[in-house]
Amino acid sequence: MAEPNATVTEAEAPRSRLAEAIWASLPSALSVGLSLLICLLMIAVTKGSLSLAGNAYLEMLRGGLGDWDAFSETGSWTQLTRPWGEAATKAAILTFTGLSVAVAYRAGLFNIGAQGQMTVGAITAAVLGAKMSLPPGLHAAVCVAGAAAAGGAYAVLPAVLKLRRGVHEVISTIMLNWIAVSLVENWLVVGPLRATATGVNSISGTDQILPTAVLPRLLSDSSRMHAGFPLALLAAFATWVWLFRTRLGFETRAMGQNAEAARAAGIPSARRAVQAMVLAGALAGVAGSILVQGTEMRFPATLGAPYGFDGIAIALIGETHPLGVGASALLFGILRAGGTRMQLLGVHKSFPELIQGLALLFVAGRLIWQWALTRRQKRAPAAAPPAPAAPAPPAPTAAAAGGGA
Amino acid sequence: MIQVLEALLFSTLEYAPALIFASLGAVLSERSGVVNIGVEGMMRVGAFAAAVAALAVPTPVGVLAGMAAGAGLAAIHAYLCVKWRSDQVVSGMALNLVALAGMTFLLESLYSPTGTPSIEQLHRWTIPGLASVPLLRGLSGHSAMTYLALAAPFAFHLFLWRTAAGLRLRSAGEKPAAVATMGISVSLLRTLAVLGSGTLAGLGGAALSTSTLERFEHHMPAGLGFMAVAAIVFGRWTPLGAFGAALFFAAGNALRIGLASSAPGVLEVIPQGFLLALPYVLTLLLLSTRQRQSGAPAALGTAYDPEAR
Repeated sequence: MAEPNATVTEAEAPRSRLAEAIWASLPSALSVGLSLLICLLMIAVTKGSLSLAGNAYLEMLRGGLGDWDAFSETGSWTQLTRPWGEAATKAAILTFTGLSVAVAYRAGLFNIGAQGQMTVGAITAAVLGAKMSLPPGLHAAVCVAGAAAAGGAYAVLPAVLKLRRGVHEVISTIMLNWIAVSLVENWLVVGPLRATATGVNSISGTDQILPTAVLPRLLSDSSRMHAGFPLALLAAFATWVWLFRTRLGFETRAMGQNAEAARAAGIPSARRAVQAMVLAGALAGVAGSILVQGTEMRFPATLGAPYGFDGIAIALIGETHPLGVGASALLFGILRAGGTRMQLLGVHKSFPELIQGLALLFVAGRLIWQWALTRRQKRAPAAAPPAPAAPAPPAPTAAAAGGGA
Repeated sequence: MIQVLEALLFSTLEYAPALIFASLGAVLSERSGVVNIGVEGMMRVGAFAAAVAALAVPTPVGVLAGMAAGAGLAAIHAYLCVKWRSDQVVSGMALNLVALAGMTFLLESLYSPTGTPSIEQLHRWTIPGLASVPLLRGLSGHSAMTYLALAAPFAFHLFLWRTAAGLRLRSAGEKPAAVATMGISVSLLRTLAVLGSGTLAGLGGAALSTSTLERFEHHMPAGLGFMAVAAIVFGRWTPLGAFGAALFFAAGNALRIGLASSAPGVLEVIPQGFLLALPYVLTLLLLSTRQRQSGAPAALGTAYDPEAR
């Protein structure tokens, strides 16, 4: 079954689905490659040595994929499982925020608010994890579900404001981000929910969650690989099924591509918009719960990395396709886990975020890639069939950035 | 009481220029039809470049470097959004992420993780007549940034609503096809508007690192760029409206900082988080009560394709 949004021109021989997928992901792959190259040169220039830059990249890979040299020397599995754990915990969070942005984007809504929804989810998970007592397993699941509900509820507001009052969701979600961050980090976490000081050290953040609410570790105690990672993979697959294999998902995508046509076809677009936004919020909320229950064990003084904003990069580099989102989250999870090891060579640990930001910038110039790629093909018409007019799934640009009116 | 108000006025005017310049920049870009949520990133590079340049050259020249850096980042935005019709929100967010991580990287490789060394702060001007008048004394003793920020919104108002160029720029944001029919290049207008927007955002960033403080700090501008976006929405996409909103938000912030240092007891009753969230809550409330008349340009966020019919 051909996907409805993969354009196949008449002149072109039908390609295999694999070739389609490769063609569609080419701009993203090239963007990431170009970004990696430019960033390599940036280290080389600022540090004055290309070999140092190469070593920094090697350290980054060791920090994310495992230190295989040390493993073969010592035979210690920790050299592999610890980096894997770090990469997996980061990839899991990025997958959820990325899916959050991607689902909304497919419905024609730009969810800038993943950061706020994630914050709301994280504080919910932290409270449920610390204040409730439930059997192990169930407790953790309740926390994740509670975070999803909180994130979803927080995302209803921009959807309703858009439908009822015509407030553009980009603006409302920006506002809601700062409202959530201000109220949670500058009121709840330092006020009513501040950790009760035990012993001499006063701890920042909320109370530690109970052991029953901690996501179980999968490999060993020395690796932070936890149940959040398979959960993220599952979520990516489930979102794919929902978007591309169910009627509801089809209607959601139809609305994202042409809201007028979808309405004319009898799709209840208002309901679909709210549903997509709630799902997006729930996914971002789960990202928060995974951070709390897998890594931090409490709501820390501040969430630290802007994972919600990163979700925008992950989603768009992954072509807003759930499986692409999973792949790009995995890639940047690995790179970002390796960031800490780059610090050994004097490169700031946030460097992989620069790679990610630049890659998003190059993805934003999607039409440049398409122009460059199709021009190459036109020059050699005998070698390859003419390129489709729109090789990648058409992004709902007009609908997503439909103005503040 | 007078003294409290005076202190409040003084610190509002210390804090406001960055927000005012960034808001004016955002108005300029969005009036021409290009969404600019990259203001945060443009402020960041502006603040960094100004502080770094001011280490070597006189601070006012450093400010120019900050403006140029903001314009440089805006040039990428213009190239992607105007020439290649990229998604304007995506491009803006990408620039924010690049500026955030990029300046962190440069700061750490060149100086220290927390900030640049101190520079010579912009000269503070004492206004002779006001320095002895109670309350109005708060108007005196600021850098040129403050006085420029108080005058610029009126200049922009006149430019946008009283000149032909301003009319063309606004038309590019309302009905670009009509502008093109007049034989005026929409692309050129929008590119210039975005470049101007970046210059102003860079100036706003420079105000932070050369006037409000005397160095670049690692967290600058700490969300001020997004607050500028709130200010233009609040001010209905007009220079004077955005100016008023920016002053109001700056006063709120001055009040919060003043309370934290002089009357911590009040913050026990009204938590800081409430005050921090207030500008955004108010903007959201205003948006949700104003029925579909936000004042946003009609063609905001839509790429202009000259070949489309």
